[in-house]
Amino acid sequence: MDMNEKPKVEEKVQEEATVEEKPTLPDTKEGKIVKALLEKAPYAEGEVIRERRVKFTVPAERIHEFLELASETFEMLMQISVVDWLKEGQFEVNYQLWSVSESVHAFVKTRVPRDDAKLPTVMDIWPVAETYEREAHEFFGIVFEGNPRLGPFILEPREYEKHPLRKDFNTLSYVKTIYGKDFDRYDESKTNYVI
Amino acid sequence: MANLEVPKELREEAKAHDMYLHPIDEDTYELFFGPQHMATENFSIILKMDGNRIERAIVNPGFLHRGFEKLAEQRPYFTNIALILRICVPESDVPENIYSMAVDEIVGWEVPDRAIWIRNVVLEMARLSAWMFWIMGFGNEIGLYTAGQWAAAYRERFMRLFEELTGGRVYHIYTVPGGVRRDIPGDRWLRQLRDTVEYIKGKMKDFDEILFDNYIMFERTEGVGVMDKKFALKHAVTGPNLRAVGVPYDVRKDDPYYFYDQLDFEVPVLKEGDSLARVLVRRYEIEQDLYILEQLLDMGPPSGPYMVQDARLKALPRFKPPKGEAYAHVESTKGDFGVFVVSDGTHKPYRAHFRGPSQSHGVTVLEELLKGARLADVPVILKTLDNCPPDIDR
Repeated sequence: MDMNEKPKVEEKVQEEATVEEKPTLPDTKEGKIVKALLEKAPYAEGEVIRERRVKFTVPAERIHEFLELASETFEMLMQISVVDWLKEGQFEVNYQLWSVSESVHAFVKTRVPRDDAKLPTVMDIWPVAETYEREAHEFFGIVFEGNPRLGPFILEPREYEKHPLRKDFNTLSYVKTIYGKDFDRYDESKTNYVI
Repeated sequence: MANLEVPKELREEAKAHDMYLHPIDEDTYELFFGPQHMATENFSIILKMDGNRIERAIVNPGFLHRGFEKLAEQRPYFTNIALILRICVPESDVPENIYSMAVDEIVGWEVPDRAIWIRNVVLEMARLSAWMFWIMGFGNEIGLYTAGQWAAAYRERFMRLFEELTGGRVYHIYTVPGGVRRDIPGDRWLRQLRDTVEYIKGKMKDFDEILFDNYIMFERTEGVGVMDKKFALKHAVTGPNLRAVGVPYDVRKDDPYYFYDQLDFEVPVLKEGDSLARVLVRRYEIEQDLYILEQLLDMGPPSGPYMVQDARLKALPRFKPPKGEAYAHVESTKGDFGVFVVSDGTHKPYRAHFRGPSQSHGVTVLEELLKGARLADVPVILKTLDNCPPDIDR
């Protein structure tokens, strides 16, 4: 036997990648809520994060339909948070719902492309969405179709078109263009300058 | 009345809101209420008046500090504490606590019992001092200044206790992810806290006589700014405002955090939904908060460390939590105060979105409730809703 020959390693029979089974929902209050909602809306994905926290992922074109179904269990829309995933070129819109009767908090996540961010308004389900959508429109530039009050809300008119909470908005350069020579506190030579 | 020169920008902005900056006809005119007005606390409302009645109200926020969420994305996790607590000034411990709770959840830290006890006491103290601040504001709005001045003096007692505990009077920078910044000063501080609770408990009778049981208060608040249960739920109104329409939702009961599930307290609920109901719910809550603090003091601080034992805490500015996201919320005097923190694995939060309770009841709800009210009711409705403008501006 040639000693230099490498010992043959028995080839591991690669286990065939089994189709990922959806994690089974626990038999709790949260699991039952997710199961009941997914039965009505099979296009969505849902999971239980922990006690009193559940999560749904819904495609953007069916978000209104899903939220209308969800509003039967979740009476309150607590906020609409937008996360700007710059590298993926997408906005993640989180509708955060709270169920007063069941005491469960739900995230309903959907993604829209950054360059053409459009979503239907949910004002007809929860009138409070008007405020949250105005904020999301002003800071990220997402257009909520059907909301009549999209426009200047918190920002000054000159800042309104800038969408300052986007990740590619540079606070420092904006301040320098606005204040120009008056902004003498900024020292170019300082490397560790903290805004 | 002569047509005054109005800057073009302002005129265009008003026109965008369907408003005109001159008397429309003999009876209808526009009134800018705030941001300089004392009652509004740097908040502005554009009112369209018909005589003494409000025909339409447009909330016009944005006069306060802002940009905290953008700034929070540019600072390390622990440095943010000194920034975000400025969101709501009378109750600055609430943003600290929810942010710390969210980061704790992302990292997966089990906060030691002693730290949780201290946080719980601090939150209740913050609630009580915020109630005192609210009595001050509300008393002043309806002309009962004495109650307001008493309340300001009693708040001072909590400020002193806070100063001894944290080093700061208004901004404490005390609750940090993983625990609290330092231990309680000692038994003397606990005794002083108990004395303060006893003292304010004794003074509640005086408050009742001068403010809560005063016919001026009843005259000004009864039947003013009424909302019903369905309206409140659809508009995500929380806190005492929701409890005044008959929904017993309290974060401390429904999504318990800290030691609240071991404490015995009641959630006061009234059904009328007018300003009077909102005032009385708050009055009952003060009593419950005093009772909660008493129970916490009877329980005593558990022994053990006041900070999580983790080697990563030695290099704070470069501390990196794993990827993840968390939502934490607590019951503040204004309502359900929440934060949504997203971590992308770097040393700065990728996104921190705060849910100020006034965001829901300070814009659409306020506009609806002001319709048809008298001009003199504006401060009453504002104060009984307990609108905190920085919740909206952030």
